[in-house]
Amino acid sequence: MKSISLYVDKGSWLNKMAPESKIIYIITAITVPALLGIRWAGMGFIVLSIILLLSGKVLKKTLPLLGVSGFVLVTVLIIQGLFWAGNITPLFRIGPAVFYKEGLNFALGILVNVINILLSFCVLILTTKPSDMIENFVRKGFSPRFGYVFISVFQIIPQMTETMNTITDAQRSRGMETEGKLWVRIKAFIPLISPVIMSSLINTKERALALEVRGFNSKNKKTFLNEQVKTSADIYIQIALLLGIAAALIWRITVWLG
Amino acid sequence: MSKKLWSLKFNTATLVLIPAAIGINYLGKLFASLLKLPLWLDAIGTCLAAVLGGPIIGAVCGAVNNIIYGLTLDPISTVYALTNIGIGIVVGILAYKGFMKNLKGAILTGIIVGIVAVIISTPLNIYYWGGTTGNVWGDALYAWAVSQNMPMWLASGLDELVVDVPDKLAVVILVFIIQKSLPKNLLNLFHNNEEVESLD
Repeated sequence: MKSISLYVDKGSWLNKMAPESKIIYIITAITVPALLGIRWAGMGFIVLSIILLLSGKVLKKTLPLLGVSGFVLVTVLIIQGLFWAGNITPLFRIGPAVFYKEGLNFALGILVNVINILLSFCVLILTTKPSDMIENFVRKGFSPRFGYVFISVFQIIPQMTETMNTITDAQRSRGMETEGKLWVRIKAFIPLISPVIMSSLINTKERALALEVRGFNSKNKKTFLNEQVKTSADIYIQIALLLGIAAALIWRITVWLG
Repeated sequence: MSKKLWSLKFNTATLVLIPAAIGINYLGKLFASLLKLPLWLDAIGTCLAAVLGGPIIGAVCGAVNNIIYGLTLDPISTVYALTNIGIGIVVGILAYKGFMKNLKGAILTGIIVGIVAVIISTPLNIYYWGGTTGNVWGDALYAWAVSQNMPMWLASGLDELVVDVPDKLAVVILVFIIQKSLPKNLLNLFHNNEEVESLD
């Protein structure tokens, strides 16, 4: 079964860090440039994220994630470059389309912001096993029942994708068309999705029974299967990042007052 | 009754419904792109969970759904958790009020949900993407609206509107069809307000 998580265990120092530190890094990478309002700050964090990803040996793994947003970013560049309301200075033209400096500048701001968010998230999601992350939250006091909900999503999606493949094959073998005109494709949607929905809802009943006989609702203190992921450097990194956010906040407030 | 509508007590079945709903969301999106449909259809599970379990379960589904997307494929979609929470709450309330009992009510629900989604998504689109959605039709409309000197919030709202309202309409009608054909013993499983009667 193919997992939906892009996590890989490379045994790097990023793999060994506590998930909380990486989450605080994401918060820092997003809030500090937003508070400072300087594009260079965002670019700085992009460079920092790239260095971190490189040292964690997962830089290549960011490509599928960048691909998801890349298409939208290209449309942003084109549309804002051509049509942004503040467009005055033409920069270059491709055929009949004139790209303006102001619009491209605006689009560049969006680009920096989006790529910064993407890469800082990559630092977390490419180096942390989802179930470890959730276990760590449960240790910190997050409800174990909801912890189960999160973890089981990662198990249920590959299962359902397999069911979906079976159903697609079955419906095709009885002659249902899944290609062609729009209406044909719309009509194909219901016979494809409804069996998966029905079977997964019926499964929930069995799953609920299975959980309850295993003491899912028990009020006793839960124990953990895996060791906690943590290094001695974690606490210092967390403090440094929080100080960074505080400094940016103070800077923003003094600018407002001044 | 209204107290039970907003009940925060989840039984095991409703909790297990959440991952299943998220799986359904995921598959809806997958099928829609597989069949190259011009819609997202990625909220079927959230709406279904809201109809079956009420607004709180719908909202939790929406939130967890986008957090999981954020942690796997598309970090930016985490902020759109807000939109999905809104969808879950609205569908949950309307279903509770009996809107999902017939097709007319379902169509109305779809339109209302679409508009709610537009209202929540547009500010997020403007902040993160400068107003565009990445959908070809919506973005073409955006480009036209901006070139007609319309303000950006209006252009962006229109961009989102032409994509979201048909999408949510399709989703809610699908959910209506599906929940009509669900067996009764399954529906009872998710009713939080059941009273346990004791025989002794």
